[in-house]
Amino acid sequence: MLSRTASALLWMGRYIERADFVSRLIDATVRLASLPSSYGGDVAAWSGALAAAGVADAYAQRHDSVSEATALHFLSLDPANPSAMRGCIERARTNARAVRTALTVEAWEAINGAWLELQRFGTRGGGRERLIRLSEAVRSATLAFDGAIHRTMLRDDAFWFIRLGEAVERADNTARLLDVKYHLLLPRDEPVGGSLDYFQWTTILRTVSALTAYRHIYRDNVKPWLVADLLILNQRMPRSLAACTANAVHHLDELARVTGRRGPAHRQAVAMAARLNATNIETLFAAGLHDVVVDFIVENNRLGTLIGEQYLF
Amino acid sequence: MRIRIDHRTSYRYASPATGMIQALRLTPRNHGGQHVLAWRIDIDQDGSFRESRDAFGNVVTMFYASGAVDAVTISVSGLVDVTDTTGIVRADETLPSAVYRRVTPLTRPDAALRALAARFADLPPLIALQQLCEALRSELRFEVGLTDPTTPAATAYAAGHGVCQDFAHIFIAAARSLGVPARYVSGHLMRDSRQEAAHAWAEALVPDLGWVGFDPANGISPTEAYIRVAIGLDYLDAAPIRGTRRGGGAETLAVSVDAVAAMGQSQA
Repeated sequence: MLSRTASALLWMGRYIERADFVSRLIDATVRLASLPSSYGGDVAAWSGALAAAGVADAYAQRHDSVSEATALHFLSLDPANPSAMRGCIERARTNARAVRTALTVEAWEAINGAWLELQRFGTRGGGRERLIRLSEAVRSATLAFDGAIHRTMLRDDAFWFIRLGEAVERADNTARLLDVKYHLLLPRDEPVGGSLDYFQWTTILRTVSALTAYRHIYRDNVKPWLVADLLILNQRMPRSLAACTANAVHHLDELARVTGRRGPAHRQAVAMAARLNATNIETLFAAGLHDVVVDFIVENNRLGTLIGEQYLF
Repeated sequence: MRIRIDHRTSYRYASPATGMIQALRLTPRNHGGQHVLAWRIDIDQDGSFRESRDAFGNVVTMFYASGAVDAVTISVSGLVDVTDTTGIVRADETLPSAVYRRVTPLTRPDAALRALAARFADLPPLIALQQLCEALRSELRFEVGLTDPTTPAATAYAAGHGVCQDFAHIFIAAARSLGVPARYVSGHLMRDSRQEAAHAWAEALVPDLGWVGFDPANGISPTEAYIRVAIGLDYLDAAPIRGTRRGGGAETLAVSVDAVAAMGQSQA
C-alpha cells in the first residue's frame, strides 16, 4: 500500500470520528443549555463545548461573545472552523475519494451520502432545530459508515488504518473532554448531589454516550470519581482512554501482521497502554487528574506523529 | 490456576551489532490443562516479525532488527489458565514418538548415565521414570552458575550438580537409554518472588498413558503451577531465545521472570 493511501485512510477514520464527537457534544450541550440559567446557563455550557472541541481560540478570533446561536453554527457549519461537522465530513469525503478503490461501495456511499445531506444545509445554518437535525443526520451517517466498514471491508491494512485513525482520534476527544471538565470530577469531602453538578456529570457521560453504560457498571448515582474511572480506565467502555489505547495497540499489531514490521509507533502505543493498565483511579487523583489528562493528550499526539513517521506519511 | 507472566530478557553489547536475528520460542500453545488467555511479545527495537511453527509444533517468532543495535529488551507478558492434569500432557503431536528417542550431543549417555538408567530397567515404565526423577533430585545438587546451557548431560552428571536444564538433560539421556522416548520442555514455574531464569523440565512417553511431564529439579510431575512453552530434543531445540548478530563484541544478559498467581488482582 502506498503511504499516501495509508495516510488518507487514517485521516478519513479520524475525521469521521471527530464529526461523531462534535455531533454528540452538540447534542449533550443543547440539553445542558436548555436548563434554567441558575444551573449555569447556556453561555457557560457552550463555552465548555467550544473548549472540548478544541476550537475556543478560533471562535474567539471571530466572535466577541458566546451565544447558543453562534456557537452552534460555529460547531456545525461554519467554513472557518475546520473541526465543524461540515468540515470533518468534507475532509473525510475528500480522503475517501482519493482512496475510493480501497473502500467498499457501502463505505463510500455512507460518507458520500452524509456529504450530500450536508450540502442541503448550506453554510448559513438556519435555526436551532435545523442544526440539531443536521447533527442527528451526521451521527447516523457515522454509524452507517462504521457498520459499512465492519460488515463489508476485508480485514487487511486498509481496514486497520481506518480503525487506527478512529482509535487515536477517539482517545484525543475523550481526553479533551476530560481536560475541560476535570474540575467537575475531583472528589470532594462534602456530600455530593448539587443539582448543577449532577447535570454537568450526566452531560459528560452523554457526550460519550455512556450514561446507560455507567448505570450498568456501577449501579449507583452519578458520582464524579466513578465518571473519571469509567472514562479513563474502564476497558469495557469503548471511549475510555484505556480502551482506545488498547484498540490502537491491537490495530498496530494487525498492521504489523500484514507488513511484518514494528516500529516506534508500536512501542509508543504499547507503553501508553501499559501505563494505563498499571494504574488505578486513586493514583490518578493523587497525581493530579488534570496533569494526567494533559500528559495523555501529549502522548497521544506523539502517537499520531509516530504513526506518520513509521508509515512514512 | 490463573498465572500472570512477565518475562524480560535484556542484551547489551559492547559495540553496536548489526544484522541481528532472533528466534523466539516464547509463546505457549493451548492444550489439555493449559489455556492461553492473552499473550504478547514486545521488543524495544524496530524490525520485522514473522511468526511460524517449527517441526515440534512450537510457535516461533523470528525477529529481524532493522539497524545497528547496542541493547535490546524482549518483554513477554501474558495470562494463562492452567489446570492440574497430574503431569499428563494432552497436546497435538506433530512428530512420531520415535523421533524423541534420537540421541543428541547434549544428551549422549556415557557409562555412568547408562548405569544410572540400568538401576530402573526392571521396573514398569511409569514407576521407573518416577524413581529416576526422584533419584536425580536427591542425588544431584541444584547449583547456579557452574554449568551453562551447552553443558552435556554426562558432564553435569559426573560433576553432580547443575541447574534445571542439566537435570532435564540427564533425565532425558537416562530415559532414552532405557528406550523410552523423552523430550525437553522449556516453560515457567509459578513462584512468589521474581526469578532469574525461566524453568525447564522433561517429558517421557509412557505406554497407555501418553506423554507425562517430570521435573527432576523438583522431583515431581508438573502441577497447575507449570506453564509449558516449547519442546524439543534438547535445550537447543526449545531454547526461549536463540540469535545471531554481526559484531557487537561481548554481550551481557539480564533475565527476569515474574510468574505469579493472577488471582485477586484486577484483570487488565
